[in-house]
Amino acid sequence: MTAAALRTPADTPDRLLWTAGIAAGATLPHWPALPIWVPGLLCLSIAWRLGGAVFGWPLPKTIARIVLAIAAFGAVLIQYQTINGLAAGTALLIVMVALKYLESRTARDQLVLIIIAYFLLFASLLVDRGFLMVLYLLGFVWFTTVGLLQLGRHGPLLGNLDMVKQAGRLLVQALPIMLILFLLFPRLPGPLWGIPGANMSGQSGLDDSMSPGDITELGLSDAVAFRVDFYNRTPGPTQLYWRGPVLSVFNGRTWSTDGPGMRPGMTELVEYSGEPIEYRVMLEPHGRRWVFALDMPEQWTDGRDIRMENHYQLVRTRRPIRSLFDYEVTSYPAYRTLDTLNERLRGYYTRLPADGNPETRALGEQWRAQTDNPDEIISRALDIFRQEQFFYTLTPPPLGANPADDFLFRTREGFCEHYASAFTVLMRAAGIPARVVTGYQGGELNPLGEYYIIYQSNAHAWTEVWLEGEGWVRVDPTAAVAPDRISLGSSQLSSAQAREGALANIPWLRQAVLAWDAAHTYWNAFVIGYGPELQRALLEALGISRPHWTKLVTLAAGAVLLLSALLTLYLSWSYRRTRARDRSAALFRDFVRKLERASVAPRATGEGPLDFGARAAAALPESAEDIDTITRTYVRLRYEPDDGRTALATLRRLVRAFKPAAAA
Amino acid sequence: MRFGPVLAAPQQWLRASAAAWAEKRQGPDALGVTLDKRRIYILPSRFGFAFGFTIFAMLLGALNYGSSLGFALTFLLAGLGIVIMRHCHYNLRGTRIRFLAAHPVFASEPAEFRFALSNDASSPRYEIILSHNGKESKPEDIPAGQTRVFSLALPTRKRGLLKLGRYQVTTRFPGNLFRAWSWLHMDASCIVYPHPAPRGRPLPNEAGGEGLHGGLERGDADFIGLATAAPGDPPRRIAWKAFARSDELMVKQFAAGEQQARILTWDSLPGLDTEQRLSQLTRWCLEAGERDMAIGLQLPNRAVPVGRGQKHLNECLCALALYEDPAQ
Repeated sequence: MTAAALRTPADTPDRLLWTAGIAAGATLPHWPALPIWVPGLLCLSIAWRLGGAVFGWPLPKTIARIVLAIAAFGAVLIQYQTINGLAAGTALLIVMVALKYLESRTARDQLVLIIIAYFLLFASLLVDRGFLMVLYLLGFVWFTTVGLLQLGRHGPLLGNLDMVKQAGRLLVQALPIMLILFLLFPRLPGPLWGIPGANMSGQSGLDDSMSPGDITELGLSDAVAFRVDFYNRTPGPTQLYWRGPVLSVFNGRTWSTDGPGMRPGMTELVEYSGEPIEYRVMLEPHGRRWVFALDMPEQWTDGRDIRMENHYQLVRTRRPIRSLFDYEVTSYPAYRTLDTLNERLRGYYTRLPADGNPETRALGEQWRAQTDNPDEIISRALDIFRQEQFFYTLTPPPLGANPADDFLFRTREGFCEHYASAFTVLMRAAGIPARVVTGYQGGELNPLGEYYIIYQSNAHAWTEVWLEGEGWVRVDPTAAVAPDRISLGSSQLSSAQAREGALANIPWLRQAVLAWDAAHTYWNAFVIGYGPELQRALLEALGISRPHWTKLVTLAAGAVLLLSALLTLYLSWSYRRTRARDRSAALFRDFVRKLERASVAPRATGEGPLDFGARAAAALPESAEDIDTITRTYVRLRYEPDDGRTALATLRRLVRAFKPAAAA
Repeated sequence: MRFGPVLAAPQQWLRASAAAWAEKRQGPDALGVTLDKRRIYILPSRFGFAFGFTIFAMLLGALNYGSSLGFALTFLLAGLGIVIMRHCHYNLRGTRIRFLAAHPVFASEPAEFRFALSNDASSPRYEIILSHNGKESKPEDIPAGQTRVFSLALPTRKRGLLKLGRYQVTTRFPGNLFRAWSWLHMDASCIVYPHPAPRGRPLPNEAGGEGLHGGLERGDADFIGLATAAPGDPPRRIAWKAFARSDELMVKQFAAGEQQARILTWDSLPGLDTEQRLSQLTRWCLEAGERDMAIGLQLPNRAVPVGRGQKHLNECLCALALYEDPAQ
């Protein structure tokens, strides 16, 4: 019987407008990521359907709709090459919304659209977790819920404002349940199955290769790479080297990784000394496996499948980082690596292509002939950068076939990659094992949140050389040219260089940006980042340590039942009996008593108010008009809605003022 | 237990046995009932199941993507579902329902059972539906502190006493996710008069067999005076002008052949079966009423004395409606 009522046509313009609003608003967050024709199709179908309802435009027949559906699904398939995965699935759903809207006629069609709308809102939460987006989505969940109340009706729609309030009440009452389930529902550390099509490449400022000669303008992104909360002490700016991919293979133009080689017990190859630094990193998703830490990490969060690979870089072993990833690390800025290089490895780390960069190679070989002391060679190389006319710029000229030669001897303008690359080539030519390390350098303190923000513009490259007895030692040739780059951190420098006159230089605006970031960070840390670890911490704070998931589910269910009981109490109160009816009856009794005193025959049991009024009016013709007014007001009050209780107030006024005339 | 009906139509069987269980549990109802929590049942609607399935899909998605905000939205919607379930229950709970009346009808006309549903609460109740045997009334909103009249139209096929039987008060508000309902078993019934036979057979006179003759038409009757009105007098005979003058209801008295009473007898219709006879007698009663004739009714096991007026006509029709064949 439900189904029958839902199948009856319900395509009044007001219902269609509601559905149009929901269809447009729920898909809106997806529009930028969609091929243009998908929102186009949606707009067209909304316009067509509304036109059909308001102006009587002819709507497409069934055959036309089927053809349109096949064409649209085909187009999605061609566009995405798949219908699997979030992007294609979303596009498909939105195409479905468009087609469903075009044929929407019954209440059931409209309810199906509401379900799809909720699901699309959910899908946009998987992609964009920004604060503003969440606000928009929350508002729109409210809107959709108003639509649910309105379109779930069979009768005419109710007042929109009333339903906005009603939906708001329902959602507010649902919030405690949401909170309990959010906190207590058992969180799993990994996905249930592979996440198809979630390609996040291009989000990171880093790559697993670098070709400095090819870049003529470094795009400095203000996107946040990660945020760091130092627990015990804050390292000095020259210690803020966040290790990323290590590039050991050089083909004359491009540096690339040799792929992470896993070796257990890497930390045993390090001799740590001095004061440790303990901190928590909230890493933005970058679609790769790299986990950034200060040189040199000693221990890190258990159970997050973080390993140290054989270049001392932390990586996540099982899967790339596709959602906010937070972890704790303890690092020692003072360290010494104990690994020894055999002949084969020495050869590997000094390998250069036989042809190419001849001048650089010649210089290196010349130094090797002059001295055996690697420290001497390193300082000679750094002296070149310091003493000769080298410039730090983010817009370097392009380099030719021999980029190291071109840079060292001709252009002499570049950024960190140029310096690190040329320096490493020089070292290898001089017979010193060397490699390029990429990562981030520096960071900006957000004074409002007491944490550091590391932007993509903090991306950096430096060199590591291997010295007998000292192991791998960091040398940052960029620091020789642009010491500010290192000591100030790149943000101040880069914003000044890359965005002249940029808004970021206005102090109060900078403050506002930092405040916003602080809010964002707490949001990220405690809401977005709420996962198995935070849940465990919360439960431990509540005195429940390492509970079995069944216990959590029982706890959550119990809490929801309790909240449901509270809701029942509230509803009992909110549906309590009104006194308005009784009050109007009492007023009418007063009126009857006045009349009876004025010698109208007593009101008989079961005598209706109108009958009594007519009788009284006949008995007291001089008050007939008053009697008639009061009687009619009372009857109206009993059988018609009394909006704002004005009728009750009128009745009270009339009865109080009523003085029956003396009987004739 | 026989499994035939279970297998033939499991859904109907389930519904019927649930209703029978509820009837046994609740017992018969008075003509005025307040819906308390004991008698309100609630289940998800089909749309509610679809909504639940969507939430489950969202939960899997949130688990898979480890998306905290995905969990948040999933749980918000789950919470919304729970909250709506309570609201749906309370939309019904506390409603007062009173059987008003079911005016007699002729067989094959729908019998209209009328009910007053009162909302004594301070919140409005939305989308209240009465249903009987799967047929639903139009949904109505009852504002706070108000009463609305609902009616159920039951089809009638044969004369007699039509029992209302089980009916439901239902609501799906808010959001159509749940259906809350209450089964009611009030001892209400409607008298169904026999279906009148087609016009044509003339009324018998006292002698029997002969039809009525002219001269009895209303316009030809002689007005002889006024008498005090009594309940049941046909309105068209009320002397309205006199009422305007004297404040007393009077009826016009006519001198006509109608003063001669007719007795409609069972035996005057030989060759017809019981129901056909009842139909014909019904038609005659109606025709006599139209002409304001005094009639009496002589049935094998019951007699209605001679009389006239609407009340008397109703009495005659009731006797016909409730006639029980002594042979059976």
